[in-house]
Order: sequence, then C-alpha cells, then structure tokens
Amino acid sequence: MVSDSIINASIPVASSNPKDFAKKKRANRSAKLKQCKLDARREQWLSQVKNKGSRQELNGGGGACGQGMQVTNERVQLMEKLAIKPRGEAEENGGYTNTYNDFDSPSNSPTSHTSSLLEGNDSGTNFTGGSSSSNSSSSGGCCSRSMSEEDNEGDDDCLDDWEAVADALAATDKKQEQLNSSLDSAPERDDNVVHMSSQQEASDPKVPAKDTSQQNPKGRGAVPGSPVGIHAWRPNDAFRPQSLPNLSKQYTFPMNSGRHYQGCSVWGCKSLSIPTSCPICCEDLDFTDTSFLPCPCGFRLCLFCHKRILEDDGRCPGCRKQYKHDPIEGETTKDAGCLIFRAARSCSMISRS
Amino acid sequence: MYGGAPAAGIGTSCGGGSGSGGRGRGGGRTWPSTTSVSSSGKRIQKEMTELSMEAPPDCAAGPKGDNLYHWVATIFGPPGTPYEGGIYFLDITFPSDYPFKPPKVVFKTRIYHCNVDPAGNVSLDILTDNWSPALTISKVLLALRSMFTNPQTYKPVVPGIAHLYLGDKAKHDEIASQWTLRFAR
Repeated sequence: MVSDSIINASIPVASSNPKDFAKKKRANRSAKLKQCKLDARREQWLSQVKNKGSRQELNGGGGACGQGMQVTNERVQLMEKLAIKPRGEAEENGGYTNTYNDFDSPSNSPTSHTSSLLEGNDSGTNFTGGSSSSNSSSSGGCCSRSMSEEDNEGDDDCLDDWEAVADALAATDKKQEQLNSSLDSAPERDDNVVHMSSQQEASDPKVPAKDTSQQNPKGRGAVPGSPVGIHAWRPNDAFRPQSLPNLSKQYTFPMNSGRHYQGCSVWGCKSLSIPTSCPICCEDLDFTDTSFLPCPCGFRLCLFCHKRILEDDGRCPGCRKQYKHDPIEGETTKDAGCLIFRAARSCSMISRS
Repeated sequence: MYGGAPAAGIGTSCGGGSGSGGRGRGGGRTWPSTTSVSSSGKRIQKEMTELSMEAPPDCAAGPKGDNLYHWVATIFGPPGTPYEGGIYFLDITFPSDYPFKPPKVVFKTRIYHCNVDPAGNVSLDILTDNWSPALTISKVLLALRSMFTNPQTYKPVVPGIAHLYLGDKAKHDEIASQWTLRFAR
C-alpha cells in the first residue's frame, strides 16, 4: 500500500499505524463478508466511506501533521457547507454527507458532521498526525471509525444496528404508524438543519444536545442522554462518535419506514372510508370486495352477500332501492392503476352473477 | 330436520334478558337448521357482542340458552307512555339465513297496543316488508321502543285499539296502563 509506506516514512511516531491499518483491512474484509447479508443501501454507504477514508489517508499522510489536520478540518467544513445543500447535490459531491443522505433525512448529515468535527477537535489535541488519518476516516461515520480504533466490536455493533433496522422495517404496521407520526415534523427539521449548521462553528456542544432534544420525543430512545441538558454527550463522551452515527441511523429509520408506509398509504386511506368487514355477513372484505361498489348510495358489501341478495329481491341493504344491473364503475381515486383494476374486477363480477 | 345446537356454548355467557324471567317462555321450539351457520352465526355473534357493549336505552337482548339463534329481549316501557313501568319480554328467533331474512319477534308479555296482536306477533314494517340485511337487532329494538311511544295506527294489527287511540287517546292510555299493571310487572 502506498499510503501505508508514506505514513511510515513521514511519521515515525505512528508506529502503531500499520497495525491499525492491518486491523482496518481485516475489518474491511469481515465487513465485506457481512455485507452480503445487508441491503444495497448499506453496501453503497460502506463503499463510499471506504473510498473517502483511503483518499483522506493519502492526504493526511502526505502532508505534515499540522497541515494534514488543516486539510481535514477544511474538508470537514467544506462538507458541512455542502450538507446544507439539497440532497441530490450533496450526493453528487459524494462527501461524508453522502453516507446518510441516502436515506432522505436532511438532518442526518449535519449530525454526522458534528461528530466528525468534534472528533477532529478531540483527536487533534491528543494525537499527532498519524491520528489525522483515523480522524478523517472517523468523520465518515461509525463504521470506518470503528475499523481504525475498535475494529470488530464497533463493526459488529454497527451490523447489529443495521439488522435491527432491517428487522424493524419488516415490523408491523402498527409500529410504522407510530413512527409515521414523526414524519409530520419533516419541514421543521429542515429548518433545524440550517440552523444547526450555522451554529456549528460557534458552539459545538450545543448542537448535539439540541439534536437529542429534538429526537428523543420521537420515541427512538437510542441515546440515553438527557434531552434537556446541554451536556447530552458528557456521560459517555468516549463513545460519542459511535453513538452519533447510531443516532443518525435510528433517525433514518422513521424516514425509511415512512417511505415504506407511503406505498401503503392508499390502503390506509381506504380503510377509513371502506369498512373492513362486510356489514351483512361480517366476513373480512378482500381487495375485490373493497373495490366493489354495487349501489350509488355507497353501501358496500361482499360479493357473496351481493349475489345472495340478487337471488332474493335484489334490493340494496343500505337504501332499499333495487340494484341497478351494472354497478358503479370505480369510484374516483387518485391512483389510476387501482381504478382500472377496480373496474375490471367489478365487470368480471357482473358476468359471473 | 332439527339442527341441534349449531353454536353450542357460544352464547351462554351473554346475559341480556336470558334467565331474567320465565314469563311466557315458549319451550320446545324448533331451531333453525344449521345450513348457513358460518354466515349467519358470525353475524349474530357480532351483534351479540355489540349489544353487550352498547345496548339501546331501556333494552336488553341475548341468547336464551345455548342456541345462538334464539334470543330473548327485554324492553322497559318508555317513560311518558302508558307502558311506563312495564317490562316486556320478547322472543327473537333468527332464521338460518338471518341477515337476508328478518328475525321473528314475538311479544311474550301481553300488551295493549294496536301493532301487537293477542298472540304477541308484531306488525312492524321493518320486520316484514321493509327488512334490510343492514338492520341489526339493536335497530329492531330501537324501532320497537319507538313503537311504544308512536303506534303505527295506519297499519294496525288490532284495528279496534287503533281506532280508540285515534278517537279517544285518554281512554286508550288508561286501558294500556291497566294492562301494563296487570301483565307487565
């Protein structure tokens, strides 16, 4: 590795660096093995982090210690500015911001930036240039940082978290609805993003505190920090870089599930206006039944009961009027596909009965 | 063919009017066949749970015994009517094709009312011609209760009572309250 040798040559203090790097490589390999379990998003996310990390390493290793720090800091600041920009733009630039922008939550990138910035300040005072590489890689988020310092443990933690997210994604609708309520505050969060990033240089500790206070009411108790105090990160300062990306990941979860829920929102709306079970026989209405509107009065019933009534006197139970021969074709809904399907189904019903 | 007990043991827990009085309870009634238990049984069971949760005012209903298709209902005479203070028991028999056919409602308590014949048969339009599968026992009880306050004199089952009601309401009310005292307490 080129970067490895460069670091070795220029910085004699960083004797532990090759070991670190080997660890990193090992962690990389294990992470790659685990990637097959995870979804495409995580894959993308990881690869981006990796790319960024190695590039940063070259940068930090080539220059002097202070210069490296400056470069990284500049970069962080640059990325921070980028973070404010809309999602698509940020993705083009492919910075650290990219890591979470994938998930549609604009405030995630600032969070990860906060972590990177804080981490940068910390390690800048404690370590020499060698740490700048780890520092820069840590700015990518939880994963790369854990590779360099707490390799496997951190990675496992990350993996667990992602598995939890995957599990939760497949969880019940109830949960989703619960979480979906947090979606309502999306524009509000946008505001906060701008606000936070503008405040970031001035008062660093306030930002995460603000963040937690913003997130904790959402019911994702990812961070044990108190929502009120400014010292939200004080108790577990050492774990801050880990917990911060965790927090962001948890934060992305509602967004993800929200997107998932939007797909089902058609059904959610329908269930409000359409009974879930047939009022005549009390059996559950399936899709065909719910899309079946036999009478202009709006009284819905299942096809079995409708057929039974047609055999009898053929009057609508809702309005006692005689059923017209052809049922009302497809009420006006927003999605055209559903409309077509509905009409087709009701037509087929007629031919049968 | 006697259907046996189509839903044995299901309705035992529901109180309603069951066991609250042996007045005029008809025994040995033939139960409806079990051909369509799956459709009507579920519906009746749902109505039962709904009734136990929220019954109409001054009304109660529930299965008589183990048979889900045979209920007993009680209606308290509404205040402000000559039937005030009376407790009226009714037998409700669900046909096997219940929601599509109306339930049979029979007064087991004698009542002086132009819409109830001496045998206790009720002439209520929603129980005959105007029945709709969307109606429930809860709504039937409400209709019966409103029948106490507003007799349907245009379509009486006992024309004499209807005539008296239209011609001399005071006399009608007096007789009705007498009957209430005699039979419904």
